[in-house]
Amino acid sequence: MSTVYTRPLARLVEQLQKLPGVGPKTAQRLALHILKRPESEVQALAHALLDAKQQVGQCSICFHLAAEPTCEICRAPNRDEATLCVVADSRDVIALEKTREYRGKYHVLGGLISPMDGIGPDQLTLQALIRRASQPAIQEIILAINPSIEGETTTLYIGQLLKPFTRVTRIAFGLPMGGDLEYADEVTLARALEGRRELD
Amino acid sequence: MYLEQLHLQNFRNYQDQFVVFGAPKTILVGANAQGKSNLLEAVELLSTLRSHRTSRDRDLVLDGAPTAQITAQLRRDSGSVDLRLALQISGRRTAMVHSEAVKRQLDFLGYLNAVQFSSLDLDLVRGGPGERRTWLDGVLIQLEPLYAHLLQQYQQVLKQRNAFLKRQRSLNNPNLDPAQLVLWNQQLATLGARVIQRRHRMLNRLEPLAQTWHQAISGQTEHLSLEYEPNVRHDLTQPEQLFPEFLAQMQTKAIAEYHQATSLVGPHRDEVNLTINQTPARQYGSQGQQRTLVLALKLAELQLIEEVIGEPPLLLLDDVLAELDLNRQNQLLDAIQDRFQTLITTTHLGAFDAKWLQSAEVFAVESGYLSAVALNPSLG
Ligand SMILES: Nc1ncnc2c1ncn2[C@@H]1O[C@H](COP(=O)(O)OP(=O)(O)OP(=O)(O)O)[C@@H](O)[C@H]1O
Ligand SMILES: [Mg+2]
Ligand SMILES: [Zn+2]
Repeated sequence: MSTVYTRPLARLVEQLQKLPGVGPKTAQRLALHILKRPESEVQALAHALLDAKQQVGQCSICFHLAAEPTCEICRAPNRDEATLCVVADSRDVIALEKTREYRGKYHVLGGLISPMDGIGPDQLTLQALIRRASQPAIQEIILAINPSIEGETTTLYIGQLLKPFTRVTRIAFGLPMGGDLEYADEVTLARALEGRRELD
Repeated sequence: MYLEQLHLQNFRNYQDQFVVFGAPKTILVGANAQGKSNLLEAVELLSTLRSHRTSRDRDLVLDGAPTAQITAQLRRDSGSVDLRLALQISGRRTAMVHSEAVKRQLDFLGYLNAVQFSSLDLDLVRGGPGERRTWLDGVLIQLEPLYAHLLQQYQQVLKQRNAFLKRQRSLNNPNLDPAQLVLWNQQLATLGARVIQRRHRMLNRLEPLAQTWHQAISGQTEHLSLEYEPNVRHDLTQPEQLFPEFLAQMQTKAIAEYHQATSLVGPHRDEVNLTINQTPARQYGSQGQQRTLVLALKLAELQLIEEVIGEPPLLLLDDVLAELDLNRQNQLLDAIQDRFQTLITTTHLGAFDAKWLQSAEVFAVESGYLSAVALNPSLG
């Protein structure tokens, strides 16, 4: 690569190529585009990258992405405090928020139970979830987890864990099996939220 | 159905080969290692998304190239279908039907149906149970594309459950998270029971067909049976008992599973017993008799797929024709006539009954290039 690009350019291409979904061709196109932009714009990009990395952490309540100790959703005064929606990661929160159908709060697990990847219940934010679920204000916990093999096990596991504390439901999937919440269109997700049923 | 065109780009040892199939039979003739089986393998991939020769896409891509592409035009009763499969050395695949990418492999299966018959298929008789399970699954995927999804789900649960058992074992703790194990057990039994039921149903349909063919070829002296032997023993007439029985047998084997750190119960350990006159076919008889058995199985497969999908599938004969004696060649020819489009590979035409050449088009294969061969009139 260094024979084709001068060193600084080669480094940029290499870094971009590490991003998901970016192959060598795209990396090259992005790098050349960045070089053509005014320096101020490139500065802004570099700062945005660093700021995001340095300032965005996890909400201490729900583990969604947050720039403050708690996220905007947890801080919002007008959201339903009695309902929690449990998802695997922050992308799912974003997908559900886009539907504008859900007015409760969230809980982000940080993954799914997957022994192959060394992820067991202890690697997820389950202790915090139990603490939240046992608060008297909570009336319903909705499990919104992909209907994959790992999602199914995680859903059933959490269902058993939370049953003693409150009502637990899971969303109905009009999604194809193996489909990802992240890629579902808003209509499908909204419908799935309406069609949720009791977890047995 | 009829495969009209095939285009191989950077696939195995083909750089860029376009083939138009102009006759119901296509014979690919050439020396060893020229690309005859590779072409059949491309058709197999379009049919099942699997290759019986490799599970790594890296092997399928021309050495030095990043991606391979197989494109085909297929004529079915319902109309023409364009299929395309792009393979990358990274293992990423893109499958397209009518130039539109499909999301699930299931949406690609079921367009092109093909039955494979190669000299390796003698392993169906001689090899271990894994060979027979692979064969069974291959037939089922063609008959019921949803089975591919089911099987993949089952294998995923199996991997997860095995990983869980390994973790218990490595921590020396058989009581690690029993609640989680219960859930993996339930998923394994739920999906496993569906796999077992489909395998059972399919073998029930296949057996009488195979018996009829076997009698016709062997001259009525031998009785073939295909007996499904699921690892989860249960009364096959009581399907509702299968799930509880599955769970119960896992319970019985729990200690052994813990010590061996692997799943010992389930359809990944199924067997199909092939017997002739009540004797296991493996021990029975000559190579010729074993070949008769495999031929009968393949003809039954061809017939069953045709019955279920309502159109004759393709037949892929890799090397095997020259190994059959003239009597068996003729049985096969009578069975397929010109109804089943057949692709045949061979190193020499000499061993074929002349009748095979009558409705055939011949291509010479050399280092990944095809060229048409005019048949010697004395042969045709
Ligand atoms: N990924 C690949 N890139 C380049 N060449 C390959 C690749 N995979 C296989 N080959 C070549 O393809 C050839 C084997 O082709 P194939 O298996 O089709 O042979 P064949 O014509 O069927 O021979 P036989 O008569 O021995 O069965 C070998 O020369 C092998 O090196
Ligand atoms: Mg070959
Ligand atoms: Zn929060």
